[in-house]
Amino acid sequence: MTKIVFKNIHRPDSHTLAVYRASGGYQALEKALAMPGDDIIDEVKRSGIRGRGGAGFPAGLKWSFIPKDDRAKYLVCNADEGEPGTCKDRDIIRYDPHLLIEGMIIAAHAVKAERGYIYIRGEFYREAERLQAAVDEAYAAGLLGDNVLGRGVRFHLAVHRGGGAYVCGEETGLLESLEGKKGQPRLKPPFPANVGLYGGPTVINNVETLASVPEIIAQGGAWYAKLGVEKSAGTKLFSVSGHVNKPGNYEVELGIPLKVLLEEHAGGVRGGWENLKGVIPGGSSSPILPKAVCDTVTMDYDALSRAGSMLGSGAVIVIDRSVCIVRAIARLSRFYRHESCGQCSPCREGTGWLAQVMERLEQGKGVAADIDLLLSVADNIQGKTICALGDAAALPVVGAIRAFRAEFEYHVEHGRCMVA
Amino acid sequence: MQTRQGIVRVLEQAEKMPTLIVDGKEISVQPGATIMDAARLLGIYIPHFCYHPQLSVAGNCRMCLVEVEKMPRPVISCAMPVSEGMVVKTDSEMVRKSRKAVMEFLLINHPLDCPVCDQGGECSLQDLAMKYGPDRSRYHEFKRHAQNYDLGPLVETEMNRCIHCTRCIRFSDEIAGVSEMGAVFRGDHMQVGPYVPKQLSSELSGNLPDVCPVGALNNKPFHFQARGWELKQSEGICAHCGVGCHVRVDHLEQQVKRVMARSCGVINQSWLCDKGRFAYDGLTRERLQRPMVRSEENTTLQEVSWPVALERAAELLKRFKPEQIAGLAGEGLQGAEELFAFQDFLRHVVGSVDLDHRLRQRDFSGDEQPLTRADLLMNTPLVDLARADLILLVGADPRFEAPLLNLRLRQATLAGARAFAIHPRQLNHNLAHLTQLPVLPGGEVALLEGLLQELQSGTESSPLAVAWRGAKRPVLLLGEYAVNHPQAESLRRLSVALLERVGALGSGWNGFNRLTGRGNAAAAQDMGVVPHRAAGYQRLEQRGRNAQQILRAAANGEIRVLLLLGCDPGLEGVDTTLGRAALAKAFVIHIGAYQSPAVARADVVLPGLAITEREATLTNIEGRAQRSPMAVMGPLEAKEDWRILRALSDRFAQPLAYNTREALQARMASADHRYSLADREEEELSPACDHSPVTVGLQTAASSPVSVGGGGLSLVLEPAFYQDDAVTRRSAILGQLAQGRSAGLGVVRLHPQEAERHRIRAGQKVRLIRDARSLECLAALDAAVPCGALWGDMGHASALLQDLCDWDGGFPQVSLVGL
Repeated sequence: MTKIVFKNIHRPDSHTLAVYRASGGYQALEKALAMPGDDIIDEVKRSGIRGRGGAGFPAGLKWSFIPKDDRAKYLVCNADEGEPGTCKDRDIIRYDPHLLIEGMIIAAHAVKAERGYIYIRGEFYREAERLQAAVDEAYAAGLLGDNVLGRGVRFHLAVHRGGGAYVCGEETGLLESLEGKKGQPRLKPPFPANVGLYGGPTVINNVETLASVPEIIAQGGAWYAKLGVEKSAGTKLFSVSGHVNKPGNYEVELGIPLKVLLEEHAGGVRGGWENLKGVIPGGSSSPILPKAVCDTVTMDYDALSRAGSMLGSGAVIVIDRSVCIVRAIARLSRFYRHESCGQCSPCREGTGWLAQVMERLEQGKGVAADIDLLLSVADNIQGKTICALGDAAALPVVGAIRAFRAEFEYHVEHGRCMVA
Repeated sequence: MQTRQGIVRVLEQAEKMPTLIVDGKEISVQPGATIMDAARLLGIYIPHFCYHPQLSVAGNCRMCLVEVEKMPRPVISCAMPVSEGMVVKTDSEMVRKSRKAVMEFLLINHPLDCPVCDQGGECSLQDLAMKYGPDRSRYHEFKRHAQNYDLGPLVETEMNRCIHCTRCIRFSDEIAGVSEMGAVFRGDHMQVGPYVPKQLSSELSGNLPDVCPVGALNNKPFHFQARGWELKQSEGICAHCGVGCHVRVDHLEQQVKRVMARSCGVINQSWLCDKGRFAYDGLTRERLQRPMVRSEENTTLQEVSWPVALERAAELLKRFKPEQIAGLAGEGLQGAEELFAFQDFLRHVVGSVDLDHRLRQRDFSGDEQPLTRADLLMNTPLVDLARADLILLVGADPRFEAPLLNLRLRQATLAGARAFAIHPRQLNHNLAHLTQLPVLPGGEVALLEGLLQELQSGTESSPLAVAWRGAKRPVLLLGEYAVNHPQAESLRRLSVALLERVGALGSGWNGFNRLTGRGNAAAAQDMGVVPHRAAGYQRLEQRGRNAQQILRAAANGEIRVLLLLGCDPGLEGVDTTLGRAALAKAFVIHIGAYQSPAVARADVVLPGLAITEREATLTNIEGRAQRSPMAVMGPLEAKEDWRILRALSDRFAQPLAYNTREALQARMASADHRYSLADREEEELSPACDHSPVTVGLQTAASSPVSVGGGGLSLVLEPAFYQDDAVTRRSAILGQLAQGRSAGLGVVRLHPQEAERHRIRAGQKVRLIRDARSLECLAALDAAVPCGALWGDMGHASALLQDLCDWDGGFPQVSLVGL
């Protein structure tokens, strides 16, 4: 299968500039620097690539929102990979940091940004070191700085380590944190494309999105658009975790059936396909899919949306029949309660409420009304918060009750778990 | 926050005014306006907690969610900018459901302790819970507990009630300019409080309970004093500095229970300083209850009936010739009514020409010139101060002279205005930035002269001169220090000349501002309580003696009767030693509300009413005359001051010609047209200064030169912000905020280096010696005070540093001995 972001990671010392160059690295940059910025944006639009961080917003469209005024513009790479289950960006940074850097230089050239930041998750300590080393190499090689490759383009890139807050993965929370403030998402509008970092127009992209850019430029947007399926173009990294025999990051074309991804790439579900209980397909914020849906669903934006979940960050969490869904979701609710920034009322109060009720249910101290209460509280959070964290906390609870209501009722009636 | 303001500016770049429909009503609004703004213009109320019209938008409470057609989710109206063709529904099913959801979230961890909450009855959360709250809780978990803090004597915390709207944080950061409040922790552990638990330092911290929409931050002195709904509310005007803020006086059973800010866009917006808010407990302390008389043979004051007291007063006034009679009025708490009646009584009933109110003023050389109102008050309206592009403070400390004026200056500096200060003491300011020019006491005139020379010769090189030359809307403020300076008139004329150089005295922009810090000093000028001018700035045929001359004449027996209106020259003024000598020698008739040493010395005491107990016209530093109605009743036998004068005048051949307050006010209005208030709207009230041309082109060297040096230390006294008049000095609440009083001793502040030179430790008892006079006080170290000077507060009853001062020869040079 076609590999785009993982095309180099099997090479020894793939993280070094020498190896990256030997495998054709930075040739796309040469090509891009000869192109006007708008042509690059058009090429990316043509590729149909959608944001790989979770929201799935078309990247080329996002770039085209940057106003053509004389304000200083910024490019920010969101490497705050904090969505539970997701570990794909980490591998890109570990094994192919120059791919990201090349993608960023191209993107910056396209939107006329002269400064870029990579906001990397605080826990990625070694990865940040390796990334910094790669940035230093790039500076030394004239790939970054006041005159990129002697072509009169200025681009400075800095690596910034976050403090480990999940909410700083939200793009405006990230900007606040980058500016040195408390990581709290901003009100939108205005959107970062108009008023972003330090008040300037800002493009914020996920690591995987930016790492796909060199290949799109090298091979052309039309080539990329042929990969995958309608409206879900290209390849995607899936971080498969949980009850499979070969958990790991897999780059496959979008639209692959979930069953194929798990059975053929990830070594199969532990104890066989029939032992599958459900799959969380796109990181912890996406509602769980019961096995019946997993049998047929394909892994692309639209199909997962139709199935009542979402592609999200591509973190596939596989859950077999040994797992208590109530307990699993209670753990997730605790996570969201802990990570809510506390700024807006529905999320601050709602995540805490959900987590406490989930915990009571899990401990067998719930009452029947708690299940509908959870649905009501989740509904009250959804769509009323400043950022998507509120929705992210509500959706798994709603999804789990929808698919596995019997397990919740069993907890209420028997005071214990169905599976234990 | 800055970013958010930047955002608004960017959004404002849209050109035309968008039109939208809110609840079926069409309206066009300014580009960048929000749905909330549009709804407010239409008179549609959208429930909210975190939104505050004077603070930045936080958008965190989510209560103001509304439905916008074609938008999938409800949007918050406080932050959503209006766009063309928007159709907004503020009361649809979706909106009601959203509000109920938000309301429930806000209530689940709220203690619901309304019965014991001071905010009960005037609480946004309670009010909106009535409409949108559930009638029972679905929340069966443990409620969280938040930490309380000791924020000092003004603000009580009950943080369990906090709904995290961050209004207090935004107020501290944006308005008060002191980042004392913040939020720590995240999620449902988030807690609002001071980053560092300590007494709030802002002079505006009393506004925190006002901006708090719930009972988390409470008015501490009011804590458990009354329920909001029991209180009767009266409108009022604050008299404790010259800004004239609009207040609401809340009272119960004729007792003032608290003072709140009343919104007035052209003066105090919706804020109030701590002095104005918390002085009220001094209103009723040490009051004069009944008339008293000291008979010739008896040395003690005895309570008598009004007729006996008035008869005795009339007898004293008739016994001596008019030129042996003089009057001194206070400027702080007197209404224009009694000030007018006072000068009318002295000039036209008694026939005396000697009266003054300027006990603190040292330099009277300006009296020689026919000064107009524009020379004595502010010419830049308060609202326009925020538009200034250059600010020069000359002997002014606006933060602690007129805090609400200072807010406008702060706004100007936040918007990019440059600010300079000429003041020998390092100012504790909260402007965005301030460049202070080094100067020693007495060196101010030379500094301004140098600046003027730079501008006249066209060789600007100092940063201030360069900025001054380039300024389009400069404002210059002469503050208390400059007004009471030994060379006040020179400073004033130099200021006028500086503004004239850059054409900033015209009707388009007039940047000359003299701050008469004390309450109603502007009315005392308008009403002619000065020896050289009659009411309404009319010329007088015969000039009288000024405050200094009156006291001197009384002390040496030329003046035999002093008529005092709400003032005590033994306590206030430049030279209290002289003041007490005058009181000891002359017969004293005292009209006033409060006990004081002058009362103990008086021969006739006529009890008046406090500022909240009568209708009074108060004129602010801009020259706006505003009427402050009566709120509560005073002591039974006390009378309005002007009625006392009216009754007294009955015993003379030509009594005062008005029997009602309305008739008196009509007389005031005919003397000065700015006092005809009847047909004016609340917001305009009366015109601010009328931009009449100020006296220009006068010789700037008006005042006598000041001798500086001479071996001693210059003793400089400034008004104590929290203890500046009869009420504030008596306020126990403000007493907790005031510094500089300790164990009955005054405090003198000096620079640590100066202290080291004199081998004096902080807190040590010292003796100040000047010629034959000396005074014991405590030394405090203060790096804001320049070397070579001693700094002290004016007007403390317990230790009068003014005892060491007099009108002659500039700042007194004193020597310092450690004890």
